[in-house]
Amino acid sequence: MYQPMNIPMHRFKYTKLTKEQIGQELAATAAGPKCVSGLSDALAGKSLKIVTKDGPVLNYSFKDKNNLTLSENGGAAIEAGYGALTLKQMVFFSHMIPGTQKGYNVFVDLDTDLVTVFEVWFSSGKQEGGGGFLGGEPYTLDDREVQRQIYYGYVEVPGKEAPEQLHHATNRIEGKGMYWKQDTGIETLEYYASVISSNWVELTRQNDDLAFCSPSDYVLVNDNMFIYDRTECEFAGIFTLFVADLFTETQVGVRLGFNHLDELEYYMFRGEGKVVGQLAYLEPFDDHGITPMGAQSKTPNAIPEKGQRTAYRPVRSFRHLTDEEVHQAAIKTTNAFGGRGDASPMDMSMSMAGNNMPFTDMLVGREFTVRYDNGGPVWQYKFMDKFMLKYKEEKETEWREATYRAYEGDEKLVWFAHILLDSKPRASVAIAVDLLNGLTTCIYSHMGTPYYGNETTYRALFGVAEGEGFAAPRYMRHEFTDELVGHAFSWSYSDSMTSMHLYSSPHSMSWTIFTGNQTMGMQWGSPCLYVKLRDGVYIFCQNEEACNGAEMIELINTKISHDCGFSYSGGAGGVNLGLVGAIGRHIGSFDVKEYFGPRVAGKGA
Amino acid sequence: MSITKSLSGSGDNRKQPNTGRRSFIWKAGAAMSAVVASAATGFSKTGVDRADALKDANAVRTLHRTYESRLNKGMYEEVVGMFANNAEVVFNGGLFKGEKSIRRLYCEFFQAGQTGKKIEPAPGFEPDPEQPQDIVDVAADRKTATGQFPYSMQVGTPMTEDTSLVKMARLQGEGIVKWWEGGTHEVTCVKVGESWKIRRLEYRLVSKADYRPGRTHARAIDIPAFSKVYPADPAGPDKLV
Amino acid sequence: MAKATYPKEHMHRIKFTKLTREQIDRKLAPAAAGPKCMSEFSDVLGGKKLKIVTDSGPTVNYAFKDRNRLTVSVDGKASVESGYGALALERVVFFSHMVPKTQTGYNVFIDLDSNLVTVIEVWFSGYKDLREVQRQIYYGYVEVAAKEAPEERHHLTNRIEGKGFYWKQDTGIETLEFYPSIVSSSFVELTRLGGELTFCSPSDYIQINDHMFIYDRTECEFSGIMTLYVMDLLDARQVGMRLGFNEKDALEYYMFRGNGEILGQLAIFEPFDDHGEKIPLNMPGMDQKGARPVYRPFGDHPPMTAEELEEAVRKNTSIFPGGDAMAGNRMELSDYLVGKEFTVRYDDGPAWNYRFDDLKKLHWREDGETQWHEEVYEAFEPDKELIFFAHMHSGVKPYECVKIVLDFANGLTSCVHSQVGSKYMANEVSYKFIFGTIEMEGLTPPRYLRHTFTDELVGSALTWNYSDTLTSMHVYSTPHSYSWTIFMENGAMGMQWSSPSRYAMIRDGIYLFSWVEEACNGGQGTIIINTKIMHDCGFGFSGTKDGLRLSTMGAYARNAGVYDVKRFFGPE
Repeated sequence: MYQPMNIPMHRFKYTKLTKEQIGQELAATAAGPKCVSGLSDALAGKSLKIVTKDGPVLNYSFKDKNNLTLSENGGAAIEAGYGALTLKQMVFFSHMIPGTQKGYNVFVDLDTDLVTVFEVWFSSGKQEGGGGFLGGEPYTLDDREVQRQIYYGYVEVPGKEAPEQLHHATNRIEGKGMYWKQDTGIETLEYYASVISSNWVELTRQNDDLAFCSPSDYVLVNDNMFIYDRTECEFAGIFTLFVADLFTETQVGVRLGFNHLDELEYYMFRGEGKVVGQLAYLEPFDDHGITPMGAQSKTPNAIPEKGQRTAYRPVRSFRHLTDEEVHQAAIKTTNAFGGRGDASPMDMSMSMAGNNMPFTDMLVGREFTVRYDNGGPVWQYKFMDKFMLKYKEEKETEWREATYRAYEGDEKLVWFAHILLDSKPRASVAIAVDLLNGLTTCIYSHMGTPYYGNETTYRALFGVAEGEGFAAPRYMRHEFTDELVGHAFSWSYSDSMTSMHLYSSPHSMSWTIFTGNQTMGMQWGSPCLYVKLRDGVYIFCQNEEACNGAEMIELINTKISHDCGFSYSGGAGGVNLGLVGAIGRHIGSFDVKEYFGPRVAGKGA
Repeated sequence: MSITKSLSGSGDNRKQPNTGRRSFIWKAGAAMSAVVASAATGFSKTGVDRADALKDANAVRTLHRTYESRLNKGMYEEVVGMFANNAEVVFNGGLFKGEKSIRRLYCEFFQAGQTGKKIEPAPGFEPDPEQPQDIVDVAADRKTATGQFPYSMQVGTPMTEDTSLVKMARLQGEGIVKWWEGGTHEVTCVKVGESWKIRRLEYRLVSKADYRPGRTHARAIDIPAFSKVYPADPAGPDKLV
Repeated sequence: MAKATYPKEHMHRIKFTKLTREQIDRKLAPAAAGPKCMSEFSDVLGGKKLKIVTDSGPTVNYAFKDRNRLTVSVDGKASVESGYGALALERVVFFSHMVPKTQTGYNVFIDLDSNLVTVIEVWFSGYKDLREVQRQIYYGYVEVAAKEAPEERHHLTNRIEGKGFYWKQDTGIETLEFYPSIVSSSFVELTRLGGELTFCSPSDYIQINDHMFIYDRTECEFSGIMTLYVMDLLDARQVGMRLGFNEKDALEYYMFRGNGEILGQLAIFEPFDDHGEKIPLNMPGMDQKGARPVYRPFGDHPPMTAEELEEAVRKNTSIFPGGDAMAGNRMELSDYLVGKEFTVRYDDGPAWNYRFDDLKKLHWREDGETQWHEEVYEAFEPDKELIFFAHMHSGVKPYECVKIVLDFANGLTSCVHSQVGSKYMANEVSYKFIFGTIEMEGLTPPRYLRHTFTDELVGSALTWNYSDTLTSMHVYSTPHSYSWTIFMENGAMGMQWSSPSRYAMIRDGIYLFSWVEEACNGGQGTIIINTKIMHDCGFGFSGTKDGLRLSTMGAYARNAGVYDVKRFFGPE
C-alpha cells in the first residue's frame, strides 16, 4: 500500500481519468482480484445459473478458484479471472469482464440460494443535475467514479421453484457504527447513519482523522448478515463492497477503483471489526426500510435510471471567487442579522433560526475588555443597547459602532457576534464570555482561504475578560475538547428543516438530512472544532469546506438540548453574518474516542 | 427563487384566509349557504330532462374527482389538459388565464411545492359536517355547469435558502415548506364535444394551518398571497385579484 | 429529614390503607397552616396582591399578608385565609396552599418576567381510592392594570421527554427520575426505598421557557402521593412540594429545594415539528376535570387462588401455541440441537440430561434418573453457536418450565428456572437464575468461569418492535428492575409500567434478561438480547385465568439512548 494521504480528500485534486486511460488500467483486472488472505475454492468445478429480478440471467462455470466463464442473458461465454471468499454460508465472488469496463460482484447464500448481484462499471458518461425539480446546471459524472446497480435474485435449482423472498434493502443497520480492520492492515471507522449514505474515517489511509460521506447501499441477507457498499463520489470514485456478519463481526469484500495516485485497486479482503455503537433511528416502527429510498431524478415521479443513486455533489454548481471578488462584494454589501428581526412567520419557518434561542439584553450597559492569549487581539466593548455595541482595539482611540446579537447560552454565559467593520478580508467575531469566571473564547472568522475567496477561515482564540465584576484565572482557559466526539444530535432549525449532526471525529462532523418520515437520508461532512465552555456547554464551529464555504458557529447547550449561534458566509452577493438556532434531540453516541489522536503514520488506531 | 419571494411579500389582508379558529365555521357556513341557495334554483325552473341533468352532474363530479386525483399523484401536466381553451384559475390571490399560464401554475408553482396532495383537514379545522359535500348546477342548455366542492390539500413552497441542507433536502424530494389548506373549489365547466372541461376554477380558501400528516395539532397560519405578476414572478399569475 | 427506614415491602407489594373521606379530612387539618420546608420560605410575595386569570379555569385573587399567610378568593367568592409557603427559583415563584376545611389546594407558578402563570389545583377524594391526589392544570397570567392580557401561555411540552435526573432534596431525599414519556415518568427512590426498584406514575410536563419546566407525578396505584416541582435545567435545581399520605398514612405536605444532575437524554421519536403541546391520546373522558391517562394494573389483574389457577390450567394449557402477539418479529427457530445429547450441570443446583429428537421434540431427565421425559421445545440461535431453548417440566407442580442458554463456544450454560406461584399470588411466576456448564463430548467447559449477573445494560433504553403494530421501549433503569413505555400513534412515548427484573451477561453484547410483572399479571418474559444485531428472542411464561402458557417472543430493537446511573446502585 501507499503512504497515508496528508491532503484531505475534499482538498485533493483527483485526475480526470479518461475512458481510455481507465480501459488501459483495467486490463490488469482480467486476472481477477488480488487478496492478502487465501481465495476460496468453494466454487471451483461448479456451475451456477443466477436469475435476477429486473436484471440479467448469469450462467457461471467456475473452472478452478481463479478462472470462470460467464454467459450473460444467454450470450456467448466469456472467460475471466475471479476471486471468491466465504463468510459462513455466504460465498462472495468478484470479477471484471475482460475488454470492458464492467464487472460483477455476486453474493450467494448457500443456505437459501438467494443471490445479490452488484454490477459495476466505469466511464458512465452519465449526466446529472440540471433543470426541473433539481435546478442548477447539468454535469457529467467522472469516468473514474464506479457505478453500481443492484439485482436481487437466486440460484436456479432444477426441480425447485423460484423463491418468493429475495434479499432486500433494509434499515436494520441504520445508525450502527463499526470499526473494521482488513487483512490488508487498513483500518476504518464506519458510521451507517443513513439508509442511502455512510460516513467513514480512514484511520490508516489518511493522516487526518476526518470523516467523509459517500452514497451507500444496505442489503439484508438475514438477521445477522448484511451487504454494504460505498462509492467515494466526488473524491476518488473508488468502490468498497462487503458482506458482514454481526454475530462474529467479520467481513469479506472487494475494493475497486482508482486511488489518489490513480493506481488501480482491485482486491478482495477479509476483515474483523467491532460494533462501536448504535444511534436511534426515528422512522415509524413498522418501516423496515425494505423499499429503498427513491434516487434523485429531475422530476419527482420519474423512474430512476440504471445506476442512479442519491449523491450530493456540492461543488458542481459552486462558483469559486477570488479574495478580491469577495471583498468587492463585501464593500457593497456586508449584512449582519439583516431582516431577521422582523421576518415573517413564513421566513422564520424556512430559516435556520426558526427555533433559535431568544436574544438577551444582559450586556446592555456593561463595559469590558476581552484579551486573547499569545499576543492575540484585545478588544474593548461598550454595549449601548440590546442590538448595538461599540468596540475598539485596545490601542485604538476611535470607537466603532456595530450591530450585534447576544444570547444567554447558559446561566450568565453570554454569546454574541458582530462584524469587524471595514476589515479586509471581511471578518467577524463570535465571542463567548463566561460572566461567572471571566473566561472567554472567540471564534475569529474571515473570508478567504488558500483555496478560494468565498470560503471562510476560522480559528478559536482563548483568553480572559477584564473589567468590573471579572476576576479571571491566570492559567485556566476554555479548551478544545473531544467530549462531543461520537455523539449525534438532531437539530430542528424550524418545523421544516431538521438535520442530524454526528460529531464523527475530533476534527470533523457530518450532517444527515431526514426524509419526510424521519428516515436518515443524504449526508455530507466537514472539518470542525469543538471547545468546552462548561460541563455540557460547547462551542462547535464548522465550515463547509470545498463546498459552499459557509461557516456555522454554534453554542451547544446539551442540558436544555438547544443551540444558538451564527452563520458566516460570503459570495458574489456580499458577506453575511446570520443567525442559527435549533432545538436538539440526542440521538445516541458511538464509543470511538479511543481510535483518535496522534499516531505513527500509517500504523492505524 | 422568486416564488417564495413573491409569497413573502405583503399581501392584501382582506384576501387573506381567516386565521382565527372561531370564525372558521362561520365562513364555511356562509360560503356553503350560498352554494345551497344556488342549488335550490336547479332543475325545477329550467325544464331540463332530469336524467340528462343528473348524468351531466355526475360527469362534472367525476371531472372534479379526476382533477383532485391527478393533483394528488403529482400528475401536473395531465391536470393542465383538463382545462378548456382560455380557461382561468384563481389561486392565492392570483389569476392564471390560458393554457400557458395554467401550465405555469401547475407545472412550475404546484410541482415545485408538491402542492395538491390530498390530506385530511387539520385537527381543529374540520369542516362543519352538516354542510353539503358538493353541489353541481347544470345549465338549462347542458353546455355549462357550475360546481362547488370542498377541498383539503397540502400546499408547499420550496425553501429558497442556498444552504447545503436545503440542496440536499431537495435531492431527496424534500426542501419544501408545507402546510394545509382547506376551502371550496368553485368550478365552472364547459362541455367540449361529449366531455366536460374546466373553464374556471377558483380556490375559495377558508383556512390555512401549519399541519402536515402525522401532526397531532395545528395552528392557523398566515401565508401571504401573490404580490407580483408574471414575469416579475416567474411562476406568478397574470393578474392579482 | 432523617434518612428513611425502608418499608418492609416495596411499593407494589404494600397494601395501602383505603383512607376514608373523613380520615382524610382529619389528616388534612394541619395543612391549613401551610406546608413545611427545610429551607427558608421566600417572602417575595409578602404584602402583595395578585389577580390570577386562567383559561377555562378559575380567576383567583390572592392577598399575601406575609410570607406564611394569605387570603384567597376563587371566582369572586368569599375570601378564605390560609397558610402558604413560597419558594423562588430564578424568576419563577412557586407557592402552595390548601384551602382550609376542604380537601382542595392550589399550587401556583408565576413567571415574574412574563407574568404567565400555571396553576395546579389539587384535591383528594376524587377517585375511588380517595387518598390519590387529583390535579387539574390551568394556564393563565397575572392581571396587570392597564396591560393587555398576554397571548402566550405556559404549555405542555415534549422538550424534556427522554431526560433523566438525579435529585437530592433539602430533606435529604434522593431520587432518580426518568422522563421517557410525555404523560408518565419513572423514578427510583434511593433514600425512601433503597434504590432497588423503579416505579412509574402519571406525570405532566409543562414548559415555562427554554430551560425551566414544571413536572408532577402522582403515585397512582400506590400511596397516591403527589410530587410537584419546577426545575431549571441550566443548573439542575428544583423547588417543589409533596402532598399526600405515605405508606404509614401520615400526611406529607412540605415544600423543598433540591439540586440535581442530568443523567442523560434518550432519543424521542415523534415528528420533529411536534413539540408536545397536545397529547395525542384518543381516550374517552380526557376532557373531564382531573382526567389523566393512568395504567391501573392492580385492578385489572386481581390475584387468583391456587384453586382458581388449577381450574384455569385444566381448561387451557398452551405450549408454544404460535400466533403470539409478541413474536411477530421473532427469530427463526433453530435446528442446531437436533441429534445432540449432553448434560447441563448447574452449580449447587440440578443436573439434567438432554436428547434432542427433532426441531420441536426433546427428552430430558434428571442426572441419575432412569426415566426420560418427552417435551415439546423451541430453540433459537441468537448468536453464533449460542442456543436458547425452553420447555415445560410437564407433570411437575407448581407448574414449572426452564429457559436454558447453551454456549457451545465455551461450554457455559445459564438457566432461568421458573414456576407459577409466589408467596403473594398463585398466578405470579417465581424464578431463579442458575449458572453452570455443558457436559458434552468435544466440549471442555471452564471450571471457575460462569455466566454472571451484570449491570452492563443498566441505564440503557431499547425500543422493541414485536410486530408492526406493537412497539414498547424498555428502560433498564436499575440492576433489579426496568420500565416499559408504550408509544403513541405519532411516536411520542406514552403510558409506562415497571417490574423487577434480572440481567445476566452471556457474551459481549449478549444478555439474558428476565422479568415478572409482579402484582400485575404475574407473567414472565425471558429474552436473550443481542445488541450486535439489535434483535431478541425468548419466551413468555404465565399462569392466568386464561390458563397456562409457554410461548415465544421476539422483536427488533433500536437503541434509544442511555442514562449514566450505574454509580447510584449497589449495597451502601
